[in-house]
Amino acid sequence: MKAVGARLPRYDGVGHVTGRTRFVDDVRIPGTLWAKALRSPHPHAGITRLDTSKAERRPGVHAVITHEDVPQNVYGHLQALGVPADEPLLAVDDVRYKGQPIAVVAAEDEATALEAVELIEVEFEEREPVLDIRKAFDADVKPFHQWGPAYPHFGPYTSRRIRKGDVDDAFERADVIVQGVYRPQAIEQLPIEPQVGLSVPEPDGRLTIYSCTQAMYFSMGVVAAHLEWPLNKLKFVGGTVGGGFGGKVDTATETITALLALKARRPVKWRWTREEEFLCSSTRAPWHMELADAVTSDGWLLGRKMITLHDAGAYTRFSSYGVTKHSFHHTGAYTIPNLRFDGYVVYTNRSPTSAMRGFGVTSVSFAVEIQMNRIAETLGIDPLELRLKNANRIGDLTANRVRLSDPSTVPVVLAAADRIGYKLAPEFKQMTSEPRSGDLLPDHLLTSVTRGGGAETDGRGA
Amino acid sequence: MRLTVNGIERELSTPPLDTLLNALREELGITSPKAGCQQGGCGACTVLVDGEPRRSCLTPLVAVDGATVTTVEALGEPGNLSPVQAAFYEQYGLQCGFCTPGFVLATTALLERSPNPSREQILEDLAGHVCRCTGYVKIVAAVEAAAKGDVSQAALEAGASGPSRREPEVLVPVSPA
Repeated sequence: MKAVGARLPRYDGVGHVTGRTRFVDDVRIPGTLWAKALRSPHPHAGITRLDTSKAERRPGVHAVITHEDVPQNVYGHLQALGVPADEPLLAVDDVRYKGQPIAVVAAEDEATALEAVELIEVEFEEREPVLDIRKAFDADVKPFHQWGPAYPHFGPYTSRRIRKGDVDDAFERADVIVQGVYRPQAIEQLPIEPQVGLSVPEPDGRLTIYSCTQAMYFSMGVVAAHLEWPLNKLKFVGGTVGGGFGGKVDTATETITALLALKARRPVKWRWTREEEFLCSSTRAPWHMELADAVTSDGWLLGRKMITLHDAGAYTRFSSYGVTKHSFHHTGAYTIPNLRFDGYVVYTNRSPTSAMRGFGVTSVSFAVEIQMNRIAETLGIDPLELRLKNANRIGDLTANRVRLSDPSTVPVVLAAADRIGYKLAPEFKQMTSEPRSGDLLPDHLLTSVTRGGGAETDGRGA
Repeated sequence: MRLTVNGIERELSTPPLDTLLNALREELGITSPKAGCQQGGCGACTVLVDGEPRRSCLTPLVAVDGATVTTVEALGEPGNLSPVQAAFYEQYGLQCGFCTPGFVLATTALLERSPNPSREQILEDLAGHVCRCTGYVKIVAAVEAAAKGDVSQAALEAGASGPSRREPEVLVPVSPA
């Protein structure tokens, strides 16, 4: 425990300030080729013609790859967990987001690679894109994704469902119903180091892959799956990440540089431009959240109905996992005994969305906290006292059936109030996380707290 | 093209209209200036040209023919850091480290020009540098520490023989450390 509360020098600090830290882009392997991608200029289109022969013949070009060069082209980021795959590494018959890679070139230098990309002949048949999650389910919108408008593999369901208690009864008994719609938008994680990868074919037949990934072993599994190789033929070098914030969880450059390196028999580096980062790297998802809360005039939350639409972009990646986390947190730091939640992973023709700082939870925390303020305002009661009254307590049961043994809502709210000099009534100031009793154990919480409440988390899979 | 880079005179074969960043990184193998945005927006490629911070990603090599270029590699080295390097290290003015060389060079130039900058001047001068990790608070603290000479001997000598072995300084009295 020598490190707790101690001021420790950063182990990597000297390297950072002297310019000695070696990021992926700083690795120098003689003979390294540069990669550049032909990317879709359309958010949604059919590919009617693809001819790379002119690019291949250009002097200085050592390899061009398309989907035909990928042993297993379609592989899902959650396939190892049994979630079916839906995303091609390189586009086959259609493109579903602007910037989707179709073919990638490896050439002597960056300029030659760019020129070779220009020589690839490709023709598209433009199709109507779906860009608004709220319209994806409309009758006149034809889903572009083979699975329909939304991810259908939450067990037997097309949504992540939570059913707890009797929500209809809670809404019958409510004095007031407070509703809110919350729509946080996409955010680019924007690390200063762009996506970059370098794959080096070794004389023993293995590949050394220098990676800026936040998820080394995960990326290793993804590359091995696409290549249909055993893991022991891959050596990953990583751990020096020039910022990630969730933007380097998806495997972006490793597989493609590996395939190019094997085809060209030369080391291949692929460094995205900042334009590519903004155009087609994964972002935090836009979310659409609708909440309706059954509340009593003295500030008890009896029940919540919630519908979430999560914008997955064109493919699933980790979205189903993000929505599952989101569902577990949809009551925030508060105990609500009766729940009905449906979270949909909706497909749109935008770049696939992924992790960013609190994947799936940041959005719902934003919605829940603003909703708490809205309830307090509607009822005319103190917003902090509303939070303390409904705060998670020891023994409470969360939306996903976790019996809380160490909840932190009460001490955190009290500490926050103290720091800002907020005046609370004495009965709230003395509140603790101890199990509910007396006034804080009203009839509507009796069943939920003492008997388990009949919570159901429907559906399997991530 | 001729450049004096970190004290050594160099004859370069990089084409004159290619960038100073490419000449440094690809021809000379000096990798502390980073290709962050290559649009002049992030400051990670900053180097000192005749003592002034310049965006090497936007500077054609021909525009700096004959100039003196300095990168962080020349400010100090492990075991012998410059006061600005030591302050960034000691005050935790860095996390992932990708933007750090740019910040360190801009700070070095600022303190050269203006040894006791006001907080406003620091913010103004470093405004062209983007850091996505720290939130800037500790970077500003590092610049202020460097300006005041508030840099420990241990920090100046950090990295002399691998990671520091000195005992951690206890900040929280109740800590079991």
